[in-house]
Amino acid sequence: MEFPDTLFPSYFGAGSLREVWGPAPASGWGERGQVLGAGPGRRQCRTAFVPRRGRTGESWEPAEAAAVPVLPPNAGCWIPMLTPQDILCHGILRKKLRAGKFRAALDFTRQLSHFFVDHPEDAFGSLGQLLHKNFFLGDSKLTRTARDTTIRMTALMEEIERLEARRGCTQEHLVPRLRWFSHICRDWLFEVPLGVLGDYVHEELLLQCADLLFNDSPTGGALAWLPPEDAGARTGRLVYPGGQAMNHLYFQDVVLEELPRAWGSPAQFELNGRIRQVAAARVDGEDFIGVRSDYHCGVWRVPGRIVAAPTPLQVIRTSVPASCLTVSPHLPGELAVCTQSGAVYLWSVETGLQRLRRDPQTMFFRDHSPWRWSDFTAHPRVLSYADRTGLQCLDARAPERCHFDLFKVGEEADCQQGERVMLPMYLGRAHPSHHLVTTQFSVYVMDERLPLVPMLKWVHMMKAPPLFAHLTPGESGRSHKVLLGASSTQELLLLQYQGGSRSACQLVGPPQKLHSIAGCLQHLPMQLPHCHHLLQQRLGAPAAGLAATLQNDRSQESLLVFQLSEAGDVFCQRLTHKMAQPPARTSVDEAVAAPGSSPLFEDPASSSLGSGSEEEEEEEQTFYLSNVEVISNDEEDAGTLAAPEEAELPQEPYASLQPALAGPSPGAALRYRRWLKALFKVCREPPRHYWLPILSQKRLFIRKELQSPVGPSALHGQVRQQLRQAMREKGRIQRWDTPDALTPTLTQHPELAEGVDTLSTRLTAAWSGDWVPWWEERMSFTMAQRRRALRERRRQQKRARSRCSLSASFTSSVTYQSELSELSDAAPPPLSPGRPPMLPEEGSPLRGSPLASPAPDEALLSSQSLRSRGIPKERRKTLRDYLAVWAEGHPEPPEPPGSQASQLCIPSSQSSQSQLSSASQPRRKRPRMGF
Amino acid sequence: SSHEHKLNFQKSKEMCLNYIQDAMLQKQWKRAVEFLTFYIEALEKDFSREYMGPSEIIWRIGSEILWHHSHNGMKEFNSFIEQMKTLAIKRYLKVCLEHVFHLLCNGLIDEAYQTLSLAESWRHGEQTSVQDKEMKLIEAYRGLLDYYSWAKQKHILLEHGQDGFEDLSVEQEMHSCFRKAAVNLKEIIKIPGVWDPFVKCYVDLLEFYGDHDEARQVLNEYAYNSKFPANPNAHVYLYQFLKRQGESKKSLISALKILHDSVPSHELMIDFNTMLQKSKKRKKHRLGLEVIFAALDYAGWKENVKAWSCLAKQLKQIVISEKHLDWIKQEWNSRRDWWPAFHFSRYLAKRNWQENESLSYEKALVAGILLGKDCKYFKYVSHQGCKAQVKRFRMLKKFVNKHNPVYLRISG
Repeated sequence: MEFPDTLFPSYFGAGSLREVWGPAPASGWGERGQVLGAGPGRRQCRTAFVPRRGRTGESWEPAEAAAVPVLPPNAGCWIPMLTPQDILCHGILRKKLRAGKFRAALDFTRQLSHFFVDHPEDAFGSLGQLLHKNFFLGDSKLTRTARDTTIRMTALMEEIERLEARRGCTQEHLVPRLRWFSHICRDWLFEVPLGVLGDYVHEELLLQCADLLFNDSPTGGALAWLPPEDAGARTGRLVYPGGQAMNHLYFQDVVLEELPRAWGSPAQFELNGRIRQVAAARVDGEDFIGVRSDYHCGVWRVPGRIVAAPTPLQVIRTSVPASCLTVSPHLPGELAVCTQSGAVYLWSVETGLQRLRRDPQTMFFRDHSPWRWSDFTAHPRVLSYADRTGLQCLDARAPERCHFDLFKVGEEADCQQGERVMLPMYLGRAHPSHHLVTTQFSVYVMDERLPLVPMLKWVHMMKAPPLFAHLTPGESGRSHKVLLGASSTQELLLLQYQGGSRSACQLVGPPQKLHSIAGCLQHLPMQLPHCHHLLQQRLGAPAAGLAATLQNDRSQESLLVFQLSEAGDVFCQRLTHKMAQPPARTSVDEAVAAPGSSPLFEDPASSSLGSGSEEEEEEEQTFYLSNVEVISNDEEDAGTLAAPEEAELPQEPYASLQPALAGPSPGAALRYRRWLKALFKVCREPPRHYWLPILSQKRLFIRKELQSPVGPSALHGQVRQQLRQAMREKGRIQRWDTPDALTPTLTQHPELAEGVDTLSTRLTAAWSGDWVPWWEERMSFTMAQRRRALRERRRQQKRARSRCSLSASFTSSVTYQSELSELSDAAPPPLSPGRPPMLPEEGSPLRGSPLASPAPDEALLSSQSLRSRGIPKERRKTLRDYLAVWAEGHPEPPEPPGSQASQLCIPSSQSSQSQLSSASQPRRKRPRMGF
Repeated sequence: SSHEHKLNFQKSKEMCLNYIQDAMLQKQWKRAVEFLTFYIEALEKDFSREYMGPSEIIWRIGSEILWHHSHNGMKEFNSFIEQMKTLAIKRYLKVCLEHVFHLLCNGLIDEAYQTLSLAESWRHGEQTSVQDKEMKLIEAYRGLLDYYSWAKQKHILLEHGQDGFEDLSVEQEMHSCFRKAAVNLKEIIKIPGVWDPFVKCYVDLLEFYGDHDEARQVLNEYAYNSKFPANPNAHVYLYQFLKRQGESKKSLISALKILHDSVPSHELMIDFNTMLQKSKKRKKHRLGLEVIFAALDYAGWKENVKAWSCLAKQLKQIVISEKHLDWIKQEWNSRRDWWPAFHFSRYLAKRNWQENESLSYEKALVAGILLGKDCKYFKYVSHQGCKAQVKRFRMLKKFVNKHNPVYLRISG
């Protein structure tokens, strides 16, 4: 085992942390770190220097536009995850987080009330039995004798039921009777001691809340790839959890082709707990797979031959949740287990468990987290042991005496304040004595032979702490590829480093972001809103695992990266190795850059805005940083933060400013379609997002009210008949008017009528499956309508102005008449079938807005008003005729929807004027009239 | 309101940074540049009181982009960095240092030297501890460059010296380089840290001018000062120095013994073992056995033929002499439960035989002695060896069969 003969210079200080708090943005860029002379120049005069970071690495380009599903969606409809809204008081978390001081305001009362509703037997069971003799629930009156010991509860029950029926109704209010009852009984009615129950509920809520902020249970990841025994073969095996509760373990053969595909049906094991972690290692040609759930750990063996079935070897049970399970790469059937009580065990299938240490305290300074981790080292008897504060190495033969510190969160590794170990990993396949340590800010490569001094350090700038890591060792001087994955944000980062044995470790090439699962949403075919929401939720589920494999086809080397989500879906992406680097890079750059962006500073705002505004139809919030327009989805900002939601939402603004990538390949598109089809089959029932207020018909009127009608008028009878009919049909009572008896004084508002009409046409369109074109058409249609309204307003304004100068310019009315006839002669354009016809008759709902104000015209036409304006009698007739034409209205020459869409929403009269004049030719003549 | 404006500005700044980050992580340097030009506006209204201000962010992102996506190469980069030096005044030294690194990596050593000299004379307000460290590094790197020019002149001088030609000015320049280098290098290696290149250069200088005591002191300090990290190279440098000085075997062995205690898997352990083997003392032989057993514990040594042959040789000697079998027994006791699975499985026998015959020979010998003739590894390899009619495998089989009682005594 060689050790680099010269290391990069670095300071080594023991002691406290740097006084820097929080992640500094962009701090991973632009640093060479240090340089090292490659030779002291005894022979040659020039000395070559190599940097610690920044040498060009291998170029790996994504082959697809997004991750592609490998397996059909996880069967068993996925249970939606806990969101902050479920347990927190509305909107508090986000505000507090913004303010920097976070203390969650738990919605404790709501959770406790759920308990009484969900477990009434536990809460009130025995007292209810004791009291049931004294509570009378019947309709009849109580006898006098019974009245001494019994209370009639019927009215109260009715109130309660009514309350139940009104659940979700916004106008919910408490009834005094109920309030009175609860005041009296609150203290003795339930038998579970409220204090204890409250403590438990509160504790659980705190746990759940902490999990929402950061859940470390999936650390390590629950996805493993078992490569084929001989490197040339193309069938490997994926090990992953699935099922409704993620408690089924699957071993699925996968053939590596252009897109990997499942081969045969998977071997399946049902476990009695959610699978948190799947770890695998190959020893002596056999794969050993460790599976961790909260209270159980199991180990399976898969012989190297691909047809061989996996065999379960052993299971252990822990009393405290296990936090780590790793498989030894040195000895068959050996694993390391850690529990949250701070214990670490060496678990051998043959000899059983050996406890190496048990220490509830953290090693280097105090940290509250019970998380512990252990992995193997270059020496098969030495295990690493980690908590949030650092790493130690323990010799299993004498764990008390023989140990040394490998990594310390502190000055030694130049850590930041608040930095904590997230995931250590043994990098034995790259170099026998290397370890990877990730924290929420940085990633370190440590060498056992020089403890405490990082061989490599890089600030990874990921938004969530990396909980998954995967190493693809590079052979014969090539770079080692390290993949880092975060859970909640689904981030995936590819790093390359080299060296470690003969030369010092160097980080090579720029880090690279890989596709996340949620990123494929934009490449999926368009969905109905509720399906889209479902998809968004499903694809945005936190990541749960990461695996990768190198595939060598004759000419092409590629890296396949598998990703597992907490919903149990496995996605995959392929990165291909580009040999000829410089030309390849520039060409890709050009292809990827936004169209029209080649000259650097021409007008980038338009290009970025152009792609952005297309996608976001919803409310947008724009900020201006001079001419870059940043569009943020308003929902994201206003919505009370959701950890899982945030996981998916950050993707959206990116997407909007993403340069248009090529769509998925035909193969991938087919995959997507199949996957979607299977998904919607699996989750047929769309999720309910909100409570529809339901009013029970049964309780609307009590029997007495229905029995004796007051004043048996004909109208009453009619109404009651209608009501009964509606109730029989269980339909809705929409209108109370009867055709003749009550003549509607209120004429239906044109807008309303239109609304109904729109709804029905929209539904029809949706049923027939082409609501998208309908929607587009409608958008342009409403725009046309608004435009008409605008025009009308302008006309009225003009008219108002004209009133003052009417007498002065009356002679040319004839010319105008001819103009009007010209206008009305203009043939209406052919109407599209989906569009409601636009007819010029009065009363047509569609022409509502132009006709909305006939009253002023009427007033204007009355001779009184004309006289009052000083218009001579002989002219009044002409004026009336003239104005009558106005009142009739005339069809506007409609414009093509496309141009309208693009020109709308410029409210300045200047532009609309020019627009209109360009759109309708005759209008230009108007000035002749003296307006 | 102004507060809201600040908040919005902050927000758009963050978003802009996000887009830059996103573009860079996807190697879309052009897109990143576009956004960066907008981000520069963040400088004007810098309300932040954060640790890393926009100026530093711009410096970092800008230089990263220029590394990967620059047409004019160094010229563009230099002008950018010069601007950044005035902009990120708080991180001036850091910017300079990184600039120097970039120049050095591109072979522009003279420019780098100039930049270092300029940076050295920079003063701005009170120096923080971070700046202090950076200043020390700047001086050290200048010392390093001085050393390189010293080495260059030495090279010229030596070459010309052979021709019988001496140039006084070159010699003088060389000595001035030495003085400048020595002063700076001496400073940095006093501070705890990993200073491999500096120590090496400094020791080289001292040795050339015959100051061996100083060199020895420096190396001892570097290796044994407890404030310094446990750097294996420090021990290696000391060992190599002692070897160059022709020190006694005893001092060499003691130097390596300390290395063995801290890094039992170091590659020098083979040298150490052979050195111990050559010694006449029994205690040293014993230590040698320990050293080689310990080295083979590590996964990195698993297929090291040299190490296995060392062990096989020593075991063979002990078995033949039948003295000190207890040594083997003692070493074997702590490995009995895992070495067979780790080294001597049937799978490994097959693979070793296919991939490296001599490795399988050495290992089979060790396995035969430690585990007896019925051991899977030995059986497989000797069988294959005999089948292939290789002579040494037949000898091996004979040897192990003959000394099988030894196995019984070890395992007993």
